[in-house]
Amino acid sequence: MTDTSRLQLLESVLEAVSVGAVVLDADGRIVLWNRWMSRHSGCASHKAVGTDLFELMPELRGGRVQAAVTQALQNNFSSLLSPTLNRSPFPLFANAACEGRGERMQQAVAVTPLSLGDSGRHCLIQLSDVSMAAGREKLLREQTELLRMQTFSDGLTGIANRRAFDVAIDREVRRAKRAGSMVSLLMIDIDYFKPYNDHYGHQQGDQCLIQVASALQAQLQRSVDMLARYGGEEFAVILPDNDPHQALHMAGTLHGRIVKLALPHEYAGGPDKQITVSIGVATLVPERHGDVAALIGAADHALYAAKRQGRNRIVAAPPELL
Amino acid sequence: MPKPIVLIVDDSRVSRLVTRQHIIARHADWTVVEAGTGEEALAKAPELQPQLVLLDVNMPGMGGVAAAEQMRKLLPTAHISLLTANVQEATRKRAHDLGIGFMEKPVTEERIARLIAPLEV
Amino acid sequence: MVELSELEHDALVEIFNIGVGQAAAAMSGIVGEEVTMSVPSITFLSRMEAAQLLEDAHRRSGIGSGRDAGERICGVSQHYEGAFQTEAILMFPEDKSLEIVRLMVGESVPLAELSEMEQEAMSEIGNIILNSCVGTLANIFQHELHGSLPVYQVGSSDEILDATGSRAETVVMMLHIDFILEKHQIHGYVAFILDVTALHDLKDQIDRYLARAMGQQ
Repeated sequence: MTDTSRLQLLESVLEAVSVGAVVLDADGRIVLWNRWMSRHSGCASHKAVGTDLFELMPELRGGRVQAAVTQALQNNFSSLLSPTLNRSPFPLFANAACEGRGERMQQAVAVTPLSLGDSGRHCLIQLSDVSMAAGREKLLREQTELLRMQTFSDGLTGIANRRAFDVAIDREVRRAKRAGSMVSLLMIDIDYFKPYNDHYGHQQGDQCLIQVASALQAQLQRSVDMLARYGGEEFAVILPDNDPHQALHMAGTLHGRIVKLALPHEYAGGPDKQITVSIGVATLVPERHGDVAALIGAADHALYAAKRQGRNRIVAAPPELL
Repeated sequence: MPKPIVLIVDDSRVSRLVTRQHIIARHADWTVVEAGTGEEALAKAPELQPQLVLLDVNMPGMGGVAAAEQMRKLLPTAHISLLTANVQEATRKRAHDLGIGFMEKPVTEERIARLIAPLEV
Repeated sequence: MVELSELEHDALVEIFNIGVGQAAAAMSGIVGEEVTMSVPSITFLSRMEAAQLLEDAHRRSGIGSGRDAGERICGVSQHYEGAFQTEAILMFPEDKSLEIVRLMVGESVPLAELSEMEQEAMSEIGNIILNSCVGTLANIFQHELHGSLPVYQVGSSDEILDATGSRAETVVMMLHIDFILEKHQIHGYVAFILDVTALHDLKDQIDRYLARAMGQQ
């Protein structure tokens, strides 16, 4: 193969590949700009070649791309610009429709030095379109979230389950600590549930749980407030950014909702022959440096106090417990 | 006119050495004093009364920026500059807000020359 | 094994601290938050000792997590050659590397899945840190090296350190790295795999650097 035909071969390959290939000389001037680049940047090769890359695309100045080019030309180092950390550094579009919408192509960029003997050091920039891969990943993630929601919900009542609660309380306490804000926890337990189950049967017991959960959930309007089934007849409510007064107020509202349900319970041990709840309230304040265990422990402690004091009431944990 | 006194604050012994050498190479008769922490530097400063204080940023204890802030109060007319590997915008801005200098490491002849220039007039 | 004097050791630590300072600035630019990186110490070990060090550190930090031993390490490696040759590997425990990516990307990403996109992000982070470290080294020693693109790998410490292929007479120069972002402090390592010749070269260069610094050259 002669030199000319070899050159022709290499040029056709470069023009045919599905990646962008840009070569800069030691002064940062474009000496190669393949067809893929022309097609997706809207800038023809004859306009690009001979121009300083950072004059052609001024938005690249001062960013990762320029740092990578410098690394290659000055230090002989290669650099990788991942699409996750650098979504679309170059103004490239998949097609005219995308360009119209201003929807840039998601790119993976690799910058490597080239030693060209007498011509000195050059820099090769390779660009790939990763939009499809990114799209697939997004879909996968959404499907995983969906699956995750299913394993995090209680089969009977449809609200969050204990596992979801454990994850959420951990997350909310950490968030509160980071932000220096408060987070409150309510522990809600149905009074005399065992006798209810024993006398009305388990099916009706289940129905009772469903109705109580539903009533509680209906009262929680904020998306950040979380209701979870903590145990057999125990529920937990996480209230981010709620101080003790707000938490107590919410507890009162929830308690009232259950009373309004007026589910008859002839076998309740107390004076009220209907389904009622006892509620323990605790609040984690940033100044006290408590943790998840302390918060749950305090709410539990308050719940037991409510039971001991006769049930069907709300007790707030003393602040010293946290 | 008494010869200038320079206080170098850095937890790296080698870094202090390198900085000292660059200064002495230009002015063998200047006094160069070292401190390994911000606290040590602040303890030495009042009696020493240096004309130039160079501080690293990432040091155990109070750190260079806090020390520089205190130093400015102790020595209102001294030239104070950060000399550091911590080259982030946030640090540059803090230096600017405190009214003190900022110089990148590594220490080079040229960079030292710029730092000590105010003392050479 | 080559021993470094205290002064030589200090010089190396100082040089790498300058290097990671540059890396921290680059990452701070990406994430828009303050990033602090430092190299508190450097140790020289055999490959086996290095693998053991990583295992032990892992076990210590894994206390109370209930996970079994053999927790995986995430490694990003680059090959450098020129005046001397070395394989440089940035290593974090797998969940810590995910934490870093999450912090840098700012999204809440499910912990258990390490997707290809996050792998590439980690590769870039490794690329930035390694290039900064080696770049500073190369500049101060006035040597030139050619650096390759990063390669991502997850495995046990043995696998990560052996990945470059068994070579007799190699020493691992292990940098302990502290990475702080948004009040999260993450401890990682950078391992340079050097053969004995390269190690001698390194020692020579440090001595020359010190001599220059002390005005003796």
